[in-house]
Amino acid sequence: MTKQHPAWSPYDNNGGTCVAIAGADYCVTAADTRMSTGYSILSRDYSKIIKLADKCVMASSGFQADVKALQKLLAARHLIYQHQHNKQMSCPAMGQLLSNTLYYKRFFPYYSFNVLGGLDNEGKGCVYTYDAVGSYERVGYSSQGSGSTLIMPFLDNQLKSPSPLLLPAQDAVTPLSEAEAVDLVKTCFASATERDIYTGDKLEIVVLNKDGIHREYMELRKD
Amino acid sequence: MVGKNCFAIASDRRLGVQLQTIATDFQRISKIHDRLFIGLSGLATDSQTLYQRLVFRHKLYQLREERDMKPETFASLVSALLYEKRFGPYFCQPVIAGLSDEDKPFICTMDSIGAKELAKDFVVAGTAGESLYGACEAMFKPDMEPDELFETVSQALLSSVDRDCLSGWGGHVYIV
Amino acid sequence: MESIQAKQGLVGPNDPIQRTQLPYVTGTSVVALKYKDGILMAADMGGSYGSTIRYKSVERIKPIGKHSLLGASGEISDFQELLRNLDELILYDNMWDDGNSLGPKELHSYLTRVMYNRRNKFDPLWNSLVLGGVKNGQKYLGMVSMIGVNFEDSHVATGFGNHLARPILRDEWHENLSYEDGVKLLEKCMRVLLYRDRSAVNKLQIAKITEEGTTISQPYALKTFWGFTAFQNPTAGAEGSW
Repeated sequence: MTKQHPAWSPYDNNGGTCVAIAGADYCVTAADTRMSTGYSILSRDYSKIIKLADKCVMASSGFQADVKALQKLLAARHLIYQHQHNKQMSCPAMGQLLSNTLYYKRFFPYYSFNVLGGLDNEGKGCVYTYDAVGSYERVGYSSQGSGSTLIMPFLDNQLKSPSPLLLPAQDAVTPLSEAEAVDLVKTCFASATERDIYTGDKLEIVVLNKDGIHREYMELRKD
Repeated sequence: MVGKNCFAIASDRRLGVQLQTIATDFQRISKIHDRLFIGLSGLATDSQTLYQRLVFRHKLYQLREERDMKPETFASLVSALLYEKRFGPYFCQPVIAGLSDEDKPFICTMDSIGAKELAKDFVVAGTAGESLYGACEAMFKPDMEPDELFETVSQALLSSVDRDCLSGWGGHVYIV
Repeated sequence: MESIQAKQGLVGPNDPIQRTQLPYVTGTSVVALKYKDGILMAADMGGSYGSTIRYKSVERIKPIGKHSLLGASGEISDFQELLRNLDELILYDNMWDDGNSLGPKELHSYLTRVMYNRRNKFDPLWNSLVLGGVKNGQKYLGMVSMIGVNFEDSHVATGFGNHLARPILRDEWHENLSYEDGVKLLEKCMRVLLYRDRSAVNKLQIAKITEEGTTISQPYALKTFWGFTAFQNPTAGAEGSW
């Protein structure tokens, strides 16, 4: 037998689940606050949601160090944008920027799974969903991260969005009221936490609407 | 999935070789007797072989005992047959659902080498397993009547297979 | 006249570059927590060469600047190189003479970038770092791993400590721990680690940082008791093949 020696990987999976739902005049973005590595929990209170602009938040799971690097880069790019244009970036613009930023590292990717939630230029809710290398799509709702496979079919069932193949294009925003959407998100996470060991501890919900930004929390299972 | 004095067993209808669809009316769920069903996902040849062996063993049991097998007994039989092939397993994951003589529902799933997983609420297996866990976990309620159970299982199945490339083309749902 | 060798070290221009090294001398867990007046941090002084405990007086907790404490597990030489870099950083920061200084938050952020940039070069610093400190009445405690994963918490532990010490801390830690209770809690953690982590040694330092400054204790040993029946006959309760 060959001698064992320590090895390392440039990637880790720190887990976590993100969900975003767009409504007619609001957007709900949510993520759990657990950070894990393998079978150990590193922190029970790590926020995965950051505010990128006045009307744009990003929830990210995956490899925390890459996520942090990505967040710093986007914050820096947004600062430059503000200096050049004297305004906040819109959510669709940030969506494109995030895609380009991810694709820029196509051959040594950021191992991060993001959903971007916000309000578009008309004040309508918008959600962009991504893969690790920058493919993205505007949708009415989405879920990313370790519990996404558990949550996505349930969202499909509850929100039945019109097919993106329909012509003329249909509005993807959900028909729910803001309070209903928040409740739905809570239900999703309560279920996902039962089956996904990487999801739990606490749920952080960020609601964006015409009155601004508002955060709330719900306790989740801690085992 | 378990309801009040009833159970439901459901599957999709797709048969495929990786991404290629071979048939869209495939029967994955088979009847052992009037109150006992088995669903076999995985490699179809293995599923069919295993099914034939199970029916054979069940018939021998009926001849010797002059009665039907209890679901618990049947689950142990499946488990034993699978574990016989511990080091060259049948590539299939069974889902067993049955009703006892007292109308008490029993459900159970296994991995391909026969490790039983008993549950009080629902069990899932196959390529859309994780999606099904999510959907069932959110939709399940204890003590559902047959009609409501049918609706719940159907909704859970349809929304789950829609998120799985390897499942689809409608489903079969049995309520017992 | 500079030779090519001097410019490039021992690696010639066409030689394949080698990056990923192996850790040689390593330290085990660091445990740290917030308490009433600041941060307490504990680490033993063992330095393992593979599975041999080669050194027994390795200082793994060091003060950085006026407001911070850095503890490290993992490759000792990487840690010491990092300390030299940080000393230079603090010195150059001091030379501005503007009355500003790097606090624990800034240092933690800096360390995060150092670790992450090294992993991006596929040449990581083989450490888990714990950074604690107090500045302007703000307590700070954070961790960085070898590939740049980082977070803050009210108590942290590296390596084995995450498995053995943090459950104890989650049970017993609270915001208003006194200094004495904090030390007792850390010693309890270190004792469990000593019993169960084979590369731990019974010689440790506990460091304290408050608004007043840093103190690192002289090395000392914990009282141990090896007479537990479970230690004397560990298989008594275990039925089966073992």
